[in-house]
Amino acid sequence: MSGALTWARLSFRQQKWELLLVVLGVAGVTAGMVWFANTLEALRVTSPQCLGGVSGDPRMSFSVPAACQAFLTEYYETENWASNLTNLAWAAPFGMGVILGAPLVAREIDGGTAQLAWSLSRSRVGWLLRRIAFVTLFGLVLLAVLAVGSELLTGAIFPDRTLGEDFVWFGRRGIPIVARGVGAILLGVLVGAVVGRVLPAVLASILVIGVAFTGISLALDQVNRSEATLQPMYAASGEPEQFDMAALDVAFGIETVDGEFMTYTDAFEDGFTPNFTDENGQVFESEADLQAGEPIGRDARLVIAGEKYPLLVLRDSIVAILVGLAALALSAVVVIRRRPA
Amino acid sequence: MNVTNPVLETRGLAKRYRRGVWALQGIDLELPAGGITALVGPNAAGKSTLIKTWVGFEKPTRGSVRVAGIDPWKDRSGALTHLGYVPQSPALYDGLSVEDHLDLARQLRPSFDREYARGRLAQLDIPADRGARSLSGGQQAQVALAIALGTRAPILLLDEPLASLDPLARREFLHVLTDAVRGDGATALLSSHIVTDVEQACDRLIVLGVGRILLHDTVAAAEAAHAISSTEHPNAVASFGAPDGSRIWLVRGTGDRPATLDEVVLGYLASGRSTAAAA
Repeated sequence: MSGALTWARLSFRQQKWELLLVVLGVAGVTAGMVWFANTLEALRVTSPQCLGGVSGDPRMSFSVPAACQAFLTEYYETENWASNLTNLAWAAPFGMGVILGAPLVAREIDGGTAQLAWSLSRSRVGWLLRRIAFVTLFGLVLLAVLAVGSELLTGAIFPDRTLGEDFVWFGRRGIPIVARGVGAILLGVLVGAVVGRVLPAVLASILVIGVAFTGISLALDQVNRSEATLQPMYAASGEPEQFDMAALDVAFGIETVDGEFMTYTDAFEDGFTPNFTDENGQVFESEADLQAGEPIGRDARLVIAGEKYPLLVLRDSIVAILVGLAALALSAVVVIRRRPA
Repeated sequence: MNVTNPVLETRGLAKRYRRGVWALQGIDLELPAGGITALVGPNAAGKSTLIKTWVGFEKPTRGSVRVAGIDPWKDRSGALTHLGYVPQSPALYDGLSVEDHLDLARQLRPSFDREYARGRLAQLDIPADRGARSLSGGQQAQVALAIALGTRAPILLLDEPLASLDPLARREFLHVLTDAVRGDGATALLSSHIVTDVEQACDRLIVLGVGRILLHDTVAAAEAAHAISSTEHPNAVASFGAPDGSRIWLVRGTGDRPATLDEVVLGYLASGRSTAAAA
């Protein structure tokens, strides 16, 4: 145990400034989240009549009593600022990868200390694992704090929704933030090990982490699309369907008359020009078709139901962690093979 | 030089870098246990490359290397347990104190003798709580040496540790090294491009030039082998064989004195260059 504490102390001192920077950043954002969550709660208690006018969701109140104008302006502005903080929570894992991951091995090579460490350690892989353990753990604990803070804030903004079965702000709260941190930090380590110089590694890691997670996101979008269900915006009778707020929107488009789904982009690529939509959500290719009552289809969306939220969180997290582990394996290969300076 | 049970060996070692430059070619070397061997040669002679192949930092293009009979490219862990290494620049961690470095060494190599290293540094009045960044170049080199000595490894490889030190620091460094090696019965290979730096400390000498071994012998034998009398050449202090079979005379002012080790090395480098040019 004392060995682990000694190693933690030494690891902290080797990367003190980066660690302090992320601690300050996370502490600031989390404090902001808690403050906004409390402020929104307090505002809600102050004027429940202004917020509860039409439905439980304040954004559904379309007719605003004059007495509530000032209050609602303040409330929505506060909510807007609060939602910006969740954007920071979304970006935090990638920032951790750049700030903590990329310099980790790069500085050892750049500064020549890898020569000392690799000549003392019997196994370079063992050294690598120990070298990244503390910093990765430290980063993940901070991300966990941020994830909890973001979850808390989301709950404060959407008090009537069951967040465990709701895709609202998917990826900006909860476990995915931590899991992406694993992937991003270890990708950063890989870039640093390959590049071997701190500043170029930091810059390259921005690109690599960005490209890697964009790729992951696009790949998961395809998987989601294959699993999504069709949800028309309007029933066959023309009545608007109940909009499922908790679902994950995978794509918007048209449910054709033969029951197929196509996005608007697909429609244009297939030669359709769905320019006309009537009040019942039916889509027509031309005004003549509109007059004739011959629609292409009707407005619809592909969704994944809110109850699948835990499943997608798990899947996204596993993918991010697997990417991180692959990066770690590659880092080990690089560290074994490369010169220390 | 034939050696029984060599602690450091190379067989037909050649190393070519990516840009196509041969740093080492056909190096056959056997180093016996005990004492300090100086590895000298000009800049870019391949000294660091040779040392780094033993540490496992440079992979041979051809041939093989062994540390205590172990090929570091087949069993890096086994080879490293026999080695203590001092890199060219001390390469200490900016954010760590001297004591932290000893802790780090202990973490990385459980057999590291922290008390021994601490004692060495205390003798030199290097405060354990000082940050590595605030130490002088000489003190940083001493910390690096103390870490290498603290491994209690039977073989020490020192890659130009004196290069950036002032004369006093160089002398102190060599004093500590000599004391430790003599006391522990270790084997040290110390590279330098300045012969006078290591002349007093070393027992054996390897001269490396243009990627080849030009000389490997004891210091006494190296000095004796090229001694000449003033009757052979009035102003020469030593002679060396030239590629065409003639002799190269090392003329240094008035003769009639034995060549210094520095001059012997100079002669080898000159004859080595002539051989390379002739080839």
